[in-house]
Amino acid sequence: MGMTLNSTATSTLEKAGDDLHWLLKTTEGAISGLVASFQGLAEHADSILALAAAIVDRVENERVSSVLSSVHALGAAAKGFVDDRLKATAEILDTVTAELELLHKLSMVTDGQAKVAAQIKMLNVHTKIEVAHLGAVGASFEYLARELADFSMTLARNTEELIRHTNERRAETERTKLMVSVELPHLTEELARIEGNLSDDLTALQSGLTRLSKTPVQFRASAEEIAGQIAGVVVAVQGHDITRQQIEHVQAALESIAQGMANEATLTNGGLREAAANHAGLAIQIFQLMAIRATIAEWTSQVRQCMSGILRISASELVEIGPLVLEQERAMLAQLSHIELLERECLANSERLRGTLEGISNLSVLVTEHLQNAKSARNRLRMLNFNSVIEASRLGAQADTICVIADGIAEVSVEWSNITEQSGSALREILSLSKRIGQGMETFSKSGNEDLAKSQAQMKIELENLRNASTFAVTQSHKIGNETDAMQIMNAEVGRTSDQLDACYARIDAVLRDLQDAKSQIESDYPGIAEHYDCEAIEKAYSASYTTAAERDVLRAALHGTEMPDTQQSFIGNDVELF
Amino acid sequence: MKRILTVDDSASVRQMVSFTLQKAGYEVTEAVDGKDGLAKIGSGKFDLIITDLNMPNVDGIQLITAVRKLPGYSFVPILMLSTESQAEKKDEGRKAGATGWIVKPFNADQLIAVVQKLVK
Repeated sequence: MGMTLNSTATSTLEKAGDDLHWLLKTTEGAISGLVASFQGLAEHADSILALAAAIVDRVENERVSSVLSSVHALGAAAKGFVDDRLKATAEILDTVTAELELLHKLSMVTDGQAKVAAQIKMLNVHTKIEVAHLGAVGASFEYLARELADFSMTLARNTEELIRHTNERRAETERTKLMVSVELPHLTEELARIEGNLSDDLTALQSGLTRLSKTPVQFRASAEEIAGQIAGVVVAVQGHDITRQQIEHVQAALESIAQGMANEATLTNGGLREAAANHAGLAIQIFQLMAIRATIAEWTSQVRQCMSGILRISASELVEIGPLVLEQERAMLAQLSHIELLERECLANSERLRGTLEGISNLSVLVTEHLQNAKSARNRLRMLNFNSVIEASRLGAQADTICVIADGIAEVSVEWSNITEQSGSALREILSLSKRIGQGMETFSKSGNEDLAKSQAQMKIELENLRNASTFAVTQSHKIGNETDAMQIMNAEVGRTSDQLDACYARIDAVLRDLQDAKSQIESDYPGIAEHYDCEAIEKAYSASYTTAAERDVLRAALHGTEMPDTQQSFIGNDVELF
Repeated sequence: MKRILTVDDSASVRQMVSFTLQKAGYEVTEAVDGKDGLAKIGSGKFDLIITDLNMPNVDGIQLITAVRKLPGYSFVPILMLSTESQAEKKDEGRKAGATGWIVKPFNADQLIAVVQKLVK
């Protein structure tokens, strides 16, 4: 090799050595920063683990997972409550429809009653005419005329009252029917909606509580994962130290080769042996740097991966535990609110229906009174008929007209008996309806809500427990949030430092190119130079400073022209060998 | 609290050893080389020593040899933490008085487990 070329190669190697020196110096500071960020991240991760552990403990202490059975019981009780009420409301609609039919029958009774009242009034007029016609002889019939007049008035009054009440009741019942028939589908729809909400709440709660019950396991898994990522960074940082040593070895080797090249130039015999040693040395350093470059890429990527892993687990999985508890509290609160709403709807409905029941009771009282009056009237009519027949037979032929009147009274009496019979039948039907409505109303009564009330009370206790856990979880989550915010900042720093390291290590590529040029230069001066390697001496010379098995493997590959060995570092780390 | 001395010329390795063992509840003192290590040992008692092999001034083997001569340090566990994995080097360490050998990089869990076993 010529003196000028050799001096160029020497300065190339010196420059490469300087580059590596710069690299080591620059990266040392970056690594120190990286380690500091890592320690900070690990401390924050520890704090987060402690905060999350406290939430998990609280969740376990408050037996939050037992809420699920109460939620199921409440859901079932609420469903039963809704079903009973829908059934009872439908029953009441049927009853109201039956009541309208009954009122129609009562109208017919009142019509008949009005007719009878008119007939009696007519009989009264006839009696008065006949009394006037008979003169002194017919004085005994004045009593009959007065009775008929009085009876006719009473009957007309009663009839009028019954008609008025029946009409009023019909109007009210029609309103009730309209209300129930309009409200029943609405109520069905509303209750179905509430039931749907309850079902959704239940599903959400069930899913949330199932997730919540898994939090201790999830927490342990996250803690283990964080520990694994931390261990990964610990190994990766050591990986840096190993590559630092290896770069130092390359740097020292380059100095030695540069020296060798300078010596070679002073030799007069062409320096083939020295050139071969220098060429071999360069080949080895190129291989070493290639292996180092690959290892560095691995450990920097390992650092990034582990650091972001720590952040990911801390910021997502662990942070979720707190809000999950809160979410359950809200879902449970929503369920209770929905049930309370449902209760309110049902109570308002039952109040309206209670009015219907009272109306029917009033009607039954009225018809009972009326029936009583009708029976008295029937007896009174019979008595009038009897008296008029006796008096008419006493007067003989003079009282023929009175006999006709007595027959009329008898006819009216029969007709009245029928009306009394119809009133009795209507009363029985009213009483039966009243009983049916009463049964329906019982469903709406408080004693019917016992199951629901019991489940609600239990649920309120569970909610209180969950609320305590939730309040605690919110506070803890807030702290976890602060910790993860700080971690985000640190992670960004780690990212910047890693970028800086990557940029620094990219300098190795330039060094590799320089070394490759110097090596090619020797090859062009000494074709087939590799055949002149004294492998044993070269291996001995270089391996003396090596401290890792990887360096020795790479050295042999470079010397013997074999494939680059797999020098990937184990990111699990090595075990301790006790003597 | 048990006291551990870590001796290494690499700051990042010292930091990793300290970090790992402090998290496990040990008090860790750092020394930058064998000479510094001996000085630290002179000023306080340690329950375990973890040392690198190749260091300036006083190397790992020299450190172990010197420590074993100190009163009260005959049976104190000493672990070598080195990139070296050659049997001859390990044998050299064993003969000097090392209790065990760890090839860098160390596994944190395993290091803690061994330290717990050695320092009771």
